[in-house]
Amino acid sequence: MNFIAAAIIMFAVVIGAGFGMCFATSKAVDAAARQPEAASKIQTILLLGCALAESTAIYAFVVAIIMATRG
Amino acid sequence: MAVAGAVALSACLVGYIFTARRIPADASKKRKRSKKLWFMGLVISAWFLVGTLIKQFTGIKSHLAVEFEMFSERVDIFGFSIAKTTLTGAGVLLALILLLLALRIFAIPKFSVENPGYLQTALETAVEFIDNFVKNTTGAFTMKNLPPFMLSIAIYMFGCALSELFGLRAPTSDLTFTFALGLCTFVLLNYYGIRKNGFGGRLKNMGGPMPAMRPVMIPLKAVSDIAVPVSLACRLYGNMLGGLLVMDLLKGVLGGYGSGLPAVAGLWFNLIHPGIQIYIFVMLSLTFINEAMELEEEETKKAKKRA
Repeated sequence: MNFIAAAIIMFAVVIGAGFGMCFATSKAVDAAARQPEAASKIQTILLLGCALAESTAIYAFVVAIIMATRG
Repeated sequence: MAVAGAVALSACLVGYIFTARRIPADASKKRKRSKKLWFMGLVISAWFLVGTLIKQFTGIKSHLAVEFEMFSERVDIFGFSIAKTTLTGAGVLLALILLLLALRIFAIPKFSVENPGYLQTALETAVEFIDNFVKNTTGAFTMKNLPPFMLSIAIYMFGCALSELFGLRAPTSDLTFTFALGLCTFVLLNYYGIRKNGFGGRLKNMGGPMPAMRPVMIPLKAVSDIAVPVSLACRLYGNMLGGLLVMDLLKGVLGGYGSGLPAVAGLWFNLIHPGIQIYIFVMLSLTFINEAMELEEEETKKAKKRA
C-alpha cells in the first residue's frame, strides 16, 4: 500500500515540475535566440528557476521515500 | 557459461588480431569499421566472461531490492554513537586538507607573478571565477569573506560526492549534513543583512516597502526565511539520494555482471550531477544572501534626498 501511495505522489508532482521546467526552458530559449549576447545571464536565471521548480519534485521524492521505507 | 564466454573471448581476440594485421593504417573507413566491431566484441565478451566468473565464485545474484535507510548506520566509538557519514565527512575533510597542504608545499612552493605554473594558473582561474560570481550576485559588500567560504564548501561537497566512488555512503546523502550546510547559509544571510543595514534595516528589508503592511509582512517573511535552510537541505539531500539509489539499483540488477558498467554510469551520477547540484546550491545561497541584503529603492532615494 505504501508503495502505491509513494507512486501516486511522484506521479502527481512530477507532472507539475516537468511542466514548470518545460515552460521556463522554452521561454529561456526564446529569449536567448532573440538576444544571444544576454545568453549567459539568461542561463543563470534559468538555472535558478529550474532549481526552484525542481525542488517541489525533490520534496515529493523525499516524502515518497519516507513513506515507502517506514510507515 | 564460463566456457562459452572464454570461447567468445578467444574468438574475438583472434578475429581482432587478424583484422588489425590485415588492415593498413591508411585504410578506408569501411574497412576500419570491421576492426572496431571486433574490438567491441572483445570488450563485450571479456565483460561477459568476468561477470560469469564472479557469479560462479562469489554467488552474487541479481535482485531488485535496495537496502536503504533514511539515516546512515551508526558505529560506537568510545561510547559515542556516531553516524558513518559523519566519519566519512571527517575523512574527506582530512584528505582534502592533506591534499591541499601537499599542493601548497610541494607543487607550488612559491607563488610567482612573472612565471606562474600550470597549477597556479588553474587555481587563479578558480578563485577569479568564484570572485566574479559572488560579486555579480551579491555586490561588492560581501567580497571579503564570502568567496573563500563558497569555494571551500563547493570543494568539500565535491570531495564528499567523490567518496561515493569508494563504496561509502556520501555525506551529502545524509540529511543532517545538508541541513548543517543550509544552516550556514541561514546564519550568513542574517549576518550580512544585519551588518549591511543594521538591525532596523534588516526588519525594513523583511517588511517590504510599505510601512503600514510591515507588522503583517515581517512574520510572513520570517517564516519564509526559516524555510531557506530546510529547502536547501532537502534539495541537496534528495538529489544526492536519488543518484545513490539509482547506482544501488543498477548494481543490484546487474548482480555478478556489475563490473565495469556502474563505473560508466557513475561518471554521470557521481561527477556531473553533483557538480550541477553544487553550482545550484552555491547560486541559491548567494541569491538568498543578496535578497536579505537589499533595501527597497524608495528608501535609498529618500535617504539621498534628505542628504
